Amino acid sequence: MSEAILVVLIIVPFLAALACLLIRSSACRSFIVIATVAGLAVSSLLLQGPLAPDAGMRWAGIIDPVITGGDFLLLAIMFFLGCRYRNFLIIMLTASQLGLFAWLEFFVFAEDQGPALFAADALSLILVRVVCTVGGLICLHAIPYMQAHEQHQNLARSRQPQFFAVLLLFLGAMNGLVLTNHLAHFYFFFELTTLCSFLLIAHDRTEEAVGNALTALWMNGAGGLLLLLAIWGLYSQSAQLDMNGLVAATAGKPAALLPLSLLVLAAFTKSAQLPWQKWLLGAMVAPTPTSALLHSSTMVKAGVYLALRFAPAFAHTLLAQGLMLAGGFTFFAAAALAIGQRNAKKVLAYSTISNLGLIFACAGIGTPGAVAAGILLILFHAVSKGLLFLCVGTAEQQVHSRDIEVMRGLCAQMPFTGMIAVLGMLTIIVPPFGMLLGKWLVFEAGADHIVFYLMLVLGSSFTLLYWVRLAGTLLASGQTTGFKPEIKPFLTRFPLAALGCGAGLLGLAAPILYARLLVPLTSLFPGGRAFSAGRGGVLTTAVGSFPLIVVFAVAALIGLLALSGVSKAMVGRKGTAYMSGANAGLPDHFVGPLNRPVRAVVENAYLAPLFGEERWTLWLNLAAAGLLLFILGGALWK
Amino acid sequence: MMKTTALALAVLCAAVLLGGLLSGIDRRLTARLQSRQGPPLIQPFLDVIKLMAKERMVTNPWQAFSPVASLAAAAVALVLFALQGDLLVILFVHMVGGVFLVLGAMASPSPYSQTASQRELWQMLSCETLLFLIAGALYLTTGSFRLSELSALPEPLLYRLPLLFAAFFFALTVKMRKSPFDLAGCHHAHQELVRGVFTEYVGPYLGLLEIAHWLEVMLYLAICSLFWATDAKGMILLPLAVFFAVIVLDNVAARLTWRWMLGWGWGASFILSAFNLFWLKG
Repeated sequence: MSEAILVVLIIVPFLAALACLLIRSSACRSFIVIATVAGLAVSSLLLQGPLAPDAGMRWAGIIDPVITGGDFLLLAIMFFLGCRYRNFLIIMLTASQLGLFAWLEFFVFAEDQGPALFAADALSLILVRVVCTVGGLICLHAIPYMQAHEQHQNLARSRQPQFFAVLLLFLGAMNGLVLTNHLAHFYFFFELTTLCSFLLIAHDRTEEAVGNALTALWMNGAGGLLLLLAIWGLYSQSAQLDMNGLVAATAGKPAALLPLSLLVLAAFTKSAQLPWQKWLLGAMVAPTPTSALLHSSTMVKAGVYLALRFAPAFAHTLLAQGLMLAGGFTFFAAAALAIGQRNAKKVLAYSTISNLGLIFACAGIGTPGAVAAGILLILFHAVSKGLLFLCVGTAEQQVHSRDIEVMRGLCAQMPFTGMIAVLGMLTIIVPPFGMLLGKWLVFEAGADHIVFYLMLVLGSSFTLLYWVRLAGTLLASGQTTGFKPEIKPFLTRFPLAALGCGAGLLGLAAPILYARLLVPLTSLFPGGRAFSAGRGGVLTTAVGSFPLIVVFAVAALIGLLALSGVSKAMVGRKGTAYMSGANAGLPDHFVGPLNRPVRAVVENAYLAPLFGEERWTLWLNLAAAGLLLFILGGALWK
Repeated sequence: MMKTTALALAVLCAAVLLGGLLSGIDRRLTARLQSRQGPPLIQPFLDVIKLMAKERMVTNPWQAFSPVASLAAAAVALVLFALQGDLLVILFVHMVGGVFLVLGAMASPSPYSQTASQRELWQMLSCETLLFLIAGALYLTTGSFRLSELSALPEPLLYRLPLLFAAFFFALTVKMRKSPFDLAGCHHAHQELVRGVFTEYVGPYLGLLEIAHWLEVMLYLAICSLFWATDAKGMILLPLAVFFAVIVLDNVAARLTWRWMLGWGWGASFILSAFNLFWLKG
């Protein structure tokens, strides 16, 4: 059973991608995408861990050469891309990877297999489900989105086949990356996501798109090289490529810290942590499904996955301390940069970077509670952020701008999208929703480390500020008519509604998930304080408790009460905004000179001198690079 | 369960009565400081009752949502405090009140409430961060975020957290909307932003927000009592002393700009609090 599911999760997306590429009919393509997404979502929910240790073993003879061949093919494609765009960095990085990989493959790695090709623990299961459901919904949303997107472009030949092929390929690559237990295979999938993200970012073929895609390619190429070096180092430590085996074998070995720190640095590039954030910010030029996919369920999650997976190997070392500080610093710095942004998509991007920093910090803290919090954050962040990207993308197609000030009053123009966006923002900052529960768990787990705690407090207050400001801006309008949802295709509305429900309700499962995650983690991370979690709907940590069910019930009750108040207010008499008694009849106008109506224009305070990226990016990058050097230096010191 | 519900209701009733009364005392005292007679002590209750009886009117329907959510958040936070819950949870729940206050204020196109919302966000940032640092100090002293652990301490927290207490005083002035930090909406409708974030809330909505404000002030005073949680006398006298200090300061100080509040007020408070945390650990 589980082998068949593995085939569906990893092989079927590749075949579906091929079908998308070959069949050019748009109806067929939509059918293929919908069927694949449905299949992936169902199989990901059916998959149960742990897998049998021999899962997929009987095909090892085929899988291994195919993946090795695929590796060479990928590197060759990237090398070719580097040559074609005359990008010296990419050529150098891929050439060195090609050489190193060939040498490792032919002269270093022995033939014998580890005990298992595939493995699925709680972390991989949650991530696979996130990839298949959230990623799948994003693919569905892409179907009407890309049709509208191409209408503006006047292409002679639709480029949607390539786009959807890469989207599906991306899902398959992520599933493979998460489920494999073989480090060399992991490297293949890691590189495959790099190539997919290049293709997706460059999709529109504008000069800017190609330039930003090349930035993504070289930065992630550097990440790939770091990963390859780390694999080499780890292999030389314990002569195996079995990931779970490696984690157990390298734990507590000072000599393994250097390859482990290279691994962490590779994860940092993949997750666009400071100072590598440029590629993810640049990825914003791509159509919305790309950014939604990169930010919520794929790509950047590969980096945090890697760090969380190897966290037991470096728990409570100098490397872990450095990782905690670097993650905390990114959480704080990216949140500060988001305050200074008036581009809605960039706010979302900085928020992603910031939240991923929090997850890295969880891997660094290295207690069972912290790592479980990190895993929960992956889940909740993917749902909320996927939702917000789809909302902003839908809005962008209507208002033709990403400027927050242009989106002012969006809820009046597009009540459905606007209100779901506001809900999505609230699920990130307000209890009892998932993201806040995750953040609370990190607060509880990280309070022992004062410097980290200070960054955590600052970062989370900054986060609150920019989300409330953005949500309030979307609400701002003097329109008081009834709630009439705008008309959108079903495939636009369904993913928004599904993700909205998920973001609103998933938090309820937090106590059960947290308790289930803790059990296996307690054996991996010794030394944490023992406690019983998740009894009676109360989320409990070693040092505090959150009466989740009660708060949720009260919140639901109050929400309904307040909504009935809203419906009463809609039918009641309407007021006009206060304009010092000089209202001019229109909602936001006052009587100005010559008795002419003048619009009262208000904009948010973005405080560019204090929080502007132009001013601070260099310094923050230098500080972050310093922290990375600290991580490396700490590993070399031993 | 029944007992908890009864306790919750009792706490809420007491908090509303006390909060309103404190507001009455505040107005009376301020009047005396300004050589006026001042209104009767129960004037705040009469005001709220009158507001509740007025017509519902909004410029954007979502302004009807915010006051209810805001009041509920303050109430839940207070109840959790009375049940000796987790201080972090209490702070996170309390935050919701501010979030909805700003969302409602921003929902109107009024330039006054829009501008004040920006200031309110900075005020929220100032208060929240300092309160979270107090929670951190609580953790470092008792090894837990649960308030129930506090009474076991041998000596009042104030002795170990003098700098954090100073920072808390700053946060309280900001939260009570008192000079010099009544930037985003003060009690008098004659500042440059009219009534700031409250400008667009009218009638019953304003009444609900007024009650929410009483509850929030009560929560802050309750947090203040944590600094002397070892005996009952201190738990009552310390918050009262601080409350009167805030009122006196309100009457002797002129309003400062939000830049000053953020730069000097909050910046200094944050740094002092950080020092205090490091001392506590070391």
